[in-house]
Amino acid sequence: MSEPGLCHAVFGQAAVEHLDSLYGYAMTLTHSQSDAEDLVQETYLRAVRAFGQLAPNSNLKAWLFVIMRNAWLNQLRHERSGPRFVNFEKEEDELGQLPDERVEDPYAIYLRKLEREEIAAAIDSLPTLYREIVVLRDVEGFSYHEIATLLACPAGTVMSRLGRAREKLRRLLTGWQTTVAARAV
Amino acid sequence: MSKCQDIRGRMTLFLDDELAGSERAGFERHLSQCESCRSRLESERRFLETIRHARPLHSASEELRARVESLLSTAESDPVDSTRLSPLQGPAPGRTHASTFTFGPRSLLGIAAILVLILLLGIWTITHERKRLLVGGPSEFALMAANTHLRHIRGQLPLEVTSVAPDEISAWFHDKLAFSVKLPNYQESSGQKKLYDLEGARLVGFKSDYAAYVAYQMQQRPISLVITSNQVAQPSGGEEISAKGLTFHYDSINGFKVITWSDRGLTYALISDFDERGQQSCVVCHHGSKDQDFIEPLRPRS
Repeated sequence: MSEPGLCHAVFGQAAVEHLDSLYGYAMTLTHSQSDAEDLVQETYLRAVRAFGQLAPNSNLKAWLFVIMRNAWLNQLRHERSGPRFVNFEKEEDELGQLPDERVEDPYAIYLRKLEREEIAAAIDSLPTLYREIVVLRDVEGFSYHEIATLLACPAGTVMSRLGRAREKLRRLLTGWQTTVAARAV
Repeated sequence: MSKCQDIRGRMTLFLDDELAGSERAGFERHLSQCESCRSRLESERRFLETIRHARPLHSASEELRARVESLLSTAESDPVDSTRLSPLQGPAPGRTHASTFTFGPRSLLGIAAILVLILLLGIWTITHERKRLLVGGPSEFALMAANTHLRHIRGQLPLEVTSVAPDEISAWFHDKLAFSVKLPNYQESSGQKKLYDLEGARLVGFKSDYAAYVAYQMQQRPISLVITSNQVAQPSGGEEISAKGLTFHYDSINGFKVITWSDRGLTYALISDFDERGQQSCVVCHHGSKDQDFIEPLRPRS
């Protein structure tokens, strides 16, 4: 670390490799292309400034995601009186009204190969907290422990939230499958 | 709870590689003996693979990539004090170390002091200096300022602090920027009729640093003021107008009137959709009958 310029060069090269992931996460959080782009720039700006705090052998990607999430929460704090939270009770009630068993035919979802765009749209339509955890685990591949650190919540919360999110996503995709099948008849 | 129910409750943990040791061994042992659970596990696996095949959900645009690469390369060539900001803490970044960019005490008087000086100079110089010169396209700073203004009025760039008091906004910027910002409070202190309203402010990224963004309203029309250090941006391009010892650059960008200039180590951009060159927006710093002398040079010649 004796040559900050050199270190910055290496850091910059490594950091830019995560641009698509960061942009995807920013889209997950903001749901807006321009806001997401602002958030990505803000994240890199903060990362550049805090680069010296990054411990050797740290998980750079996870570190950048933490920066992005904090930047986003900071924006929300200023935008409103407090952070925005999804109404979990309502979502859980909605799930509770559905049958206990999963979809009638667990394979119905695979009758037609779902297009990538449809899956992306289904994920995109999830409530923010569900969307976020699906993206972190299933799209970005973070472990439960890494997600718990990133979200500053217990691993048990990660597990339960991820379970609910996937269940909701499964139902969404199944519903679309049924609609497509009905149209085809 | 039956063994199968217990196993099914752990299926996603298994598929997410979150089961280890005896827990995993027990899971695999049951699976080897239970056709029903194997079938359910396969269903779960295919569902997760379906989701995972959708990645990446979004790709950054080439424009964003270029901006990020530019930001990172700027940092390489001019590394900033990396301990100035903790990214792991929520609040807006604060300056905790000596800045690489400093001003003397007089400069710290900020815009208010500049205003007084400009007004005194203006009375003397108004009749002596009035030059206009076209010097090319808008500067990067002017483009950023116009884009920031646009995003703010579209509601895409929320303010981080809202206040009608210039002193509060100035205090909010304190320790957040590598330069000092002191908004003029001429309107508030003069007792004159209020012509415009201060709305609030936020930080905006520009190159590898933050710039100050201040939002005003006048006659229900938005005015934006963007400030950075003149080490980060120098006004250039557009129509060059020299007056009172300062050089103003006027641009029309996407229908917005953008005036940029540098003074005492800071570079400013004033954006509005007012008539002519938008010189009416100058009122946010220049309020009063004498200030018309200052605004006059920006008025197009008939």
